[in-house]
Amino acid sequence: MKAIKKILKARESSSVLFLVALFLVVGAINPSFLSTANVSACFNTSVVYTLVAIGMAFTLFIGEIDVSVGSNLGLVATIVGMMLRDGSNLMLACCVGIFIGALIGLINGWGVAVMKAPSLIFTLGVNGVLRGLMYLVAGGAWVENLPKAFKDFSAVTAVGDLTVYYCGAVLLAIVIHILLTKTRHGHNFKAVGDNRAGANLVGINSTRTMLLSYVICGVLAAIAGIIFCSRIGFVTSTTGSGYEMKAVAACVLGGISLAGGVGSVLGPAVGAVIMASISYLLTFMGFSSNYDNAITGVILIVIVVADALIQARSAEKNRHARLAARVSDDVTADVAAAKGGE
Amino acid sequence: MPEDRTKTVEATQTKAAKPGASLLSRITAGQGSWNMLLMALIIIEFVVFGAANPKFLRPQLFFTSLNDSLPVFIISIAVTFVMITGGIDIQVASLVGLTSIIIGVAWQDWGFSIWGAILLAIVVVVACGAFSGFLIAYCRVQAMVVTLGGSFLYSGLALIVSTMSSTESYQGISGFPDAFKFLGGYKFFDVFPLQMAIYLLLLVIAFILLNKSKYGRKVILSGTNPRAAEYSGINTRLTIMSTYMLSAFAAAIAGILLTSYLGTAKSDLGSDLTMDIITAVVLGGTLVTGGRGSVIGVALASFAIGLVRFGMPLCFKVSTQYPGHPHRNPADRHHRWSFSGEQHQCRD
Amino acid sequence: MQRVPDTDTPGSALLSVRGIFKSFGTNAVLKGVSIDLLPGEVLALIGGNGAGKSTLMKIIMGIYTYDSGEIYVDNERVEHNSTKEALSRSVYMVPQEPLLFPNMTVGENITMGFDKSPSELETELQAAVDEIGWHLDLSRKANTLSIAEQEMVEILRGIMRHSKVLILDEPTSALAFDEVKALFGVIKGLRDKGIGIIYITHRLAEVFEIASRVCIMRDGIIAMAGNVSEFTRDDLVKGLLPPNAEKTAERAEKAARSIDYDADPVLELRDFSGYGFKHVNLKLYPGEMLGLAGVVGAGRTEMATTVFGRDKVLGGKVLLNGRDITGLSTKKVIAAGVNYVSEDRFCYGIFSLRSVAENTTSALLGGKRIGSFFLKRDEENRITQSYVDDFRTKVTGISQDLGDLSGGNQQKIVIGRTFATNPKVVILDEPTRGIDAASRGDVYAVLQELRQTGVSILLISSDMEEVVELADRAVTMYQGRINHEFSKRDINQDNLMAASFGAYHEDGEDA
Repeated sequence: MKAIKKILKARESSSVLFLVALFLVVGAINPSFLSTANVSACFNTSVVYTLVAIGMAFTLFIGEIDVSVGSNLGLVATIVGMMLRDGSNLMLACCVGIFIGALIGLINGWGVAVMKAPSLIFTLGVNGVLRGLMYLVAGGAWVENLPKAFKDFSAVTAVGDLTVYYCGAVLLAIVIHILLTKTRHGHNFKAVGDNRAGANLVGINSTRTMLLSYVICGVLAAIAGIIFCSRIGFVTSTTGSGYEMKAVAACVLGGISLAGGVGSVLGPAVGAVIMASISYLLTFMGFSSNYDNAITGVILIVIVVADALIQARSAEKNRHARLAARVSDDVTADVAAAKGGE
Repeated sequence: MPEDRTKTVEATQTKAAKPGASLLSRITAGQGSWNMLLMALIIIEFVVFGAANPKFLRPQLFFTSLNDSLPVFIISIAVTFVMITGGIDIQVASLVGLTSIIIGVAWQDWGFSIWGAILLAIVVVVACGAFSGFLIAYCRVQAMVVTLGGSFLYSGLALIVSTMSSTESYQGISGFPDAFKFLGGYKFFDVFPLQMAIYLLLLVIAFILLNKSKYGRKVILSGTNPRAAEYSGINTRLTIMSTYMLSAFAAAIAGILLTSYLGTAKSDLGSDLTMDIITAVVLGGTLVTGGRGSVIGVALASFAIGLVRFGMPLCFKVSTQYPGHPHRNPADRHHRWSFSGEQHQCRD
Repeated sequence: MQRVPDTDTPGSALLSVRGIFKSFGTNAVLKGVSIDLLPGEVLALIGGNGAGKSTLMKIIMGIYTYDSGEIYVDNERVEHNSTKEALSRSVYMVPQEPLLFPNMTVGENITMGFDKSPSELETELQAAVDEIGWHLDLSRKANTLSIAEQEMVEILRGIMRHSKVLILDEPTSALAFDEVKALFGVIKGLRDKGIGIIYITHRLAEVFEIASRVCIMRDGIIAMAGNVSEFTRDDLVKGLLPPNAEKTAERAEKAARSIDYDADPVLELRDFSGYGFKHVNLKLYPGEMLGLAGVVGAGRTEMATTVFGRDKVLGGKVLLNGRDITGLSTKKVIAAGVNYVSEDRFCYGIFSLRSVAENTTSALLGGKRIGSFFLKRDEENRITQSYVDDFRTKVTGISQDLGDLSGGNQQKIVIGRTFATNPKVVILDEPTRGIDAASRGDVYAVLQELRQTGVSILLISSDMEEVVELADRAVTMYQGRINHEFSKRDINQDNLMAASFGAYHEDGEDA
């Protein structure tokens, strides 16, 4: 069927296949890995990365980036953690957290879309400010003693051994994917990143689209922060640092291009699982955790170089075809045209 | 195409009418005045911190604490070259650790002399820089992603190297010869560290390289307009690749000095420096899009940031530590020596 | 044989523009243009490079704003301030370079930007595709399409929008013969439905095949307009030329130089082929200024940049004083003695944020004249100052940012850079494009001076006047090949224009 063929050809499928292959290889080396508990653990541990990566994907779609997601996550985790520790209502704390995430996203979006600042610089600056805010709010101390019920909820399973959190994240990813691909405005993000002039030409408001993508990214990072609180149980002064890079890596593994216009949110979801569970998987294979980073780096570089070379090859081909088309094969073309036109 | 022509005519006209229209480029167009601003910022920091806690101004304490920022000082100068070409380098931090551990393991376990170990470390690390630079310049892969992968790879390599030692990786390798520890430990008149002098020397060399040599001119032009540079016969790809080798070299120097200063070789030295380095480079007036950058500006900016790192905890009791540093906050006891934070969450 | 431009009242026209003026800075591109488009007709719009055709179309599409004038659609006065507005009035332009989304499928590209539900769009899209009769796989990614297919997708976009006015900007420039036939079939079908089509082209033959009326644009105005049946090819060619064409030819006689055509050529291209051009045979003699004319897309720039080492050589040889320099890197080509001034100085020429001095000496970094390791600033400044003085370039100092200079002065700096490498051959690509008249004269004076030094110059230019005035000899390129050569006495704007459009008759008879 055409639909199945299309799915198989998608870049995300290669990520999924890669993940499955990874699991199978580990299982072959160490059959004890192939239990539902272990495989589920790989997914469960990736929930925070998954959410951040999906949010990051929005900013990558439009051809920009958001390196403040890590401290966004940290700040929201700190504030929500403090509120819960001090007895606030859960709903209220979550609303506050999400609001903060949206606000941060709005600020980032304003800087990049309206003020036309380079996104790396602007979000880097915001990142620094948020880090500073984190210290101020928490006084440099850790946030601990969170309500037990809140922490225990992170272990509650929904489907098999998969936690409610992870199932929720997957559901969210699917819903977002459907919204992006099936609704009339869902394509706008990638259109803006693919060809901003072309997007304007067909009547898309690129500024509004860019603002929206940053707000979504901020909100998802905030949600990730809340879940972090629940899973880890405490917040330190460096919580969230480095997450932006893990998120970028997850997106790139999932087939998103930093140039924009390419990819879906399903890719980052798969990439996040890979990023989160590499060390876990390597343990089963007998590698000490010392190999985690090196292997992650190799995977990332190989995939990115392959992507770039393929892109470059097809761009060259297109250009050559375009130029070749301008050359007439018939030397006497002008004479023929002159005669033929009367 | 007529379409493109009009676009170019229009663009040329607009360019001629409004040079450096964006806020950022107007600021950096006046690099001199920007440097003045940075100087003013530094003076303000001195005043504020000095007033809050007079101990801040004591030369002994002052220079010792600045030593912690030395890696940022050194590396940010070289990353400036990278960013002038329009690229970015976020793997430098991991190269610091790689340098350190190679020195340690090569000297202690592989029988190298200390100076041989240092040479080996430099060669390996610069090769890493060359590898990434090659992918960026010749394979046209985006700099951010390549160096992101590199940061994982090289920090991972550092960790693997540390396992080749008889010492446990979390302990770190110590017991270095005094000749080596001299580099990081010696102070002129018991006050002014030799490291700082080495940094100033590197600063001068970098300044000359960027502003007075043909190489520096090629770097600047390759970043300003790579196509026009190519049409001028400049080998932009080689030039761009070389800047990544420069930043790797700077990371190696920083790693050597840091190892000497701490007296310990560890694979995760310098792990949290990346953001500070990038901030210093950008704050120093370097255009992210390339073509503009100032060694002096970056030096001033990194200095300003270093003062904050030192002044905040001392004067306002706000902790802004690098988790990778052993001498700092007692809270570090709780931290695992892992790259970029919460890796332990995988295990629950 | 001047024809008076149409003065139909806006009443009967589908689209009318009246008195459109547009300037970019000090450069006036449109100087009072009036056009009418009637329902169910194909209006051909022709003109040389820089005549203003694309600018006019972009104004109609709301991409550019105009300085003064009026636009009417269906008798209503409109202000097309944005593309969305133009689209809502059922005006659609198929751009010459397709602006597709490379990473989306054909189907997604066509339906992008519509405010309807996806299922509605799918049915409409299928209907449009069936109607056109083209076989296009809607699920293919746009970046895998050939240029012809991309054109088709753009046209489908216009059809999907049920446009009343369709603007086609050189739609056949990349199409094969049978695709052109198919396109013409579609255009005729649309025309019969009452849709008005503006058809921009460089191919005069197409005017006679598809259009019912024709407008000739020249230098920002409509020089001629009327029914196609009332024109001959030569009429069209004459219409493209400026009125004082003959006078220029006279002046050029006086400036004739004696070139020794029996000497060995300093630059020779033998059966030279690359992307965009084929089997080029060219000889450039010592001290000669050879004009290379042709329309945009003829392959002149591609040929020049390939000689310069920017693109792959597909066949043939380049010989400099007998030495084979085919396929050498740019650095080596410059060192051998060939240099090139790009037609797009903004992209390939200027370092806008750097100083005049840095710009002038950028090509000298390969050699030793300004130092081996350290820069010899004195030497650098001396070289820069000498060119600034010789060319009378207006700068406040040699440390001034290049971006602050006017276009003309920027061009002088770039030319200075090229000559600073002491080349034997210089290829100038549209050296006076986008430069105001005053600076243009300066640049000509500079070029004349440089000729005295014995440098041979290949002058690529779409400005026929320029070629007539400066060149000792001229060749024209058409669709990637050299199609004619003219000796000094035969160089006139008529011949050059005709040959550039592929319409030159050897025996000079009227068609």
